[in-house]
Amino acid sequence: MTRDETIDRFLENVAAVAAETARVRGRAGVDRMIADLIGGDSVVYCPRLTELERSIALPEDRVTDDYTSASVCVEEVFAGIAETGSLVSTSAGGRAVQGGLVPQHHIALIATDRIVETLDHFFSQWGDGPPTNITLETGPSRTADIELTLTIGVHGPGRLSVIAVEE
Amino acid sequence: MTPTVAPIDFRSNAAAAVQDSLLRAALRNATDTFAAKRAQAAACVPLEELREAASGIRSEVLGNLSSYLDRFIERASRAGAQVHRAADSAAARETIFSILKQHRVDKVVKAKSMVSEEIHLNDYLIANGIRVVETDLGEYIIQLASEQPSHIIVPAIHKDRRQVGRLFAEKLSCEYSEDPAQLTKVAQQTLRREFLSAAAGISGANFAVAESGSVVLFTNEGNGRMCTTLPRLHIVVLSIEKIIPSLADLPTFIRLLPRSATGQAITSYLSVITGPRKLGDRTGAEELHIVFVDNGRSSIVAGEYRDMLKCIRCGACLNACPVYRTVGGHVYGATYPGPMGIILSVLLEGMAKAHPLLDATTLCGACGEVCPVKVPLPDLLRRLRERRVEEGFTPAIERAGIAAFGRAASLGGLFTLGRSMARVLWPLMEKLIDPQTLGRLPKPAERSFQRRVR
Repeated sequence: MTRDETIDRFLENVAAVAAETARVRGRAGVDRMIADLIGGDSVVYCPRLTELERSIALPEDRVTDDYTSASVCVEEVFAGIAETGSLVSTSAGGRAVQGGLVPQHHIALIATDRIVETLDHFFSQWGDGPPTNITLETGPSRTADIELTLTIGVHGPGRLSVIAVEE
Repeated sequence: MTPTVAPIDFRSNAAAAVQDSLLRAALRNATDTFAAKRAQAAACVPLEELREAASGIRSEVLGNLSSYLDRFIERASRAGAQVHRAADSAAARETIFSILKQHRVDKVVKAKSMVSEEIHLNDYLIANGIRVVETDLGEYIIQLASEQPSHIIVPAIHKDRRQVGRLFAEKLSCEYSEDPAQLTKVAQQTLRREFLSAAAGISGANFAVAESGSVVLFTNEGNGRMCTTLPRLHIVVLSIEKIIPSLADLPTFIRLLPRSATGQAITSYLSVITGPRKLGDRTGAEELHIVFVDNGRSSIVAGEYRDMLKCIRCGACLNACPVYRTVGGHVYGATYPGPMGIILSVLLEGMAKAHPLLDATTLCGACGEVCPVKVPLPDLLRRLRERRVEEGFTPAIERAGIAAFGRAASLGGLFTLGRSMARVLWPLMEKLIDPQTLGRLPKPAERSFQRRVR
């Protein structure tokens, strides 16, 4: 699979699990896209641990360090898996993985060079020393526990937006 | 195991369940949907190859279970987890309670775990003054209703939306609704407060990884992630056979488990947890305990039913089983229903108690065809049925009848005479023998087939 095919397959599979997708070239378009997604009144949590996270323009008066009081989480995820359309977050580097779980809307940025083809590519790299937490997130939170009626948004986010950023 | 233990009354339970039209409609809807989604999802992967690989990995682990367990314990301990081994349910309950007591915990949030059902954890904790809140929506529904799960994947499969609506209105003092989205929202809001204020979370685990000492959890709602990351104390309870060798083996099971369970290519969330929060971490419980439950599995793994422990609890055999599809999970009167449940119940709880469940199979083989790890379910069921007869757990009159038939069938004249006698004597037998026992025998035809075609 070429790089482009891997990225396309990833975004197709993300879209197939009821998430919104976008692909942008360079960082110029990212700020506007995020501003549109955040809207006018949400409280935003952003860990600002990566260079990309630190470069995002956010409405400073509505930014919080406390993810339990935020309605949106904007973060760069660690990796993507094309086979399943999964986003990967890990606890490495002091990241609070649950920060992307508690707010109602998760906006995930992913550098396209962090997208791998298959689950095997991803899971073969850890050996005996994985970080404390590795979480795969595939689509928004869901349940079908009442009459098997699919309901989006239970304990985790009801809305997931994925922006693939190509440097 | 006492020989005087009362057997599960499967026949009466089943007789009541088939009369319940609401239950049967709910079951038909659920099992049909799951079976169709499974077939669809399975068509997208090289299924046979995956089943063969998964079966091989599970067999390898079970063949060397104690060394894999030792390795897991060493690696998990190195990562900072505290690992406990419990020989039986009572020991597991006490271990978990003493950890909670030591931390002065008065409330725990719980993610779905069938092993915790097996050891009857909730009742024990509640009796000891701890509030237990189930957080999987299905488990939450049945906890509010004071019921048991009827399916290992969708515990409240037996309830329709109106029943859930009435239950919520009564127990949560909210407005009646029969809209699943609205009901889900009510549960979400109630449970969010519980997550943020709980000092401890208890979860099961789908797999434990020997090489890295990690536990792996598959969930859709996000409650599993909440239970394992928000409270400062996390207790994992799992049975000893859930080990896989390494994280590199996980993709095979990711491809099989959700597909077989709900027809999804992967669940919304999959967490790999390795030890508690470490220096510099901002994720994970401050203290992680892992409690391995044995409950007789060490001896099962050494015997002729070892293959049963390959099971990864996907529920596909329940959805495929014509008996389960008709009567649902409650009538089994055991923790695990369906084909895998019959076998596990006999092995875990003993033949004396669980032998009536061996009637709950037609030996049609559908369970064996859908099993993602190739547990030879029909074969194990047949072997247990034979053992049931050998151990004398079939009704005396049935044994006498079968023996008489055997002798008669070997003598042509006697067989023909017996056939005519059965026809003549049937009305008398209807008077003398209780209908349940008689119901096990086919009613003789008015005219024999031979005579009709003659």
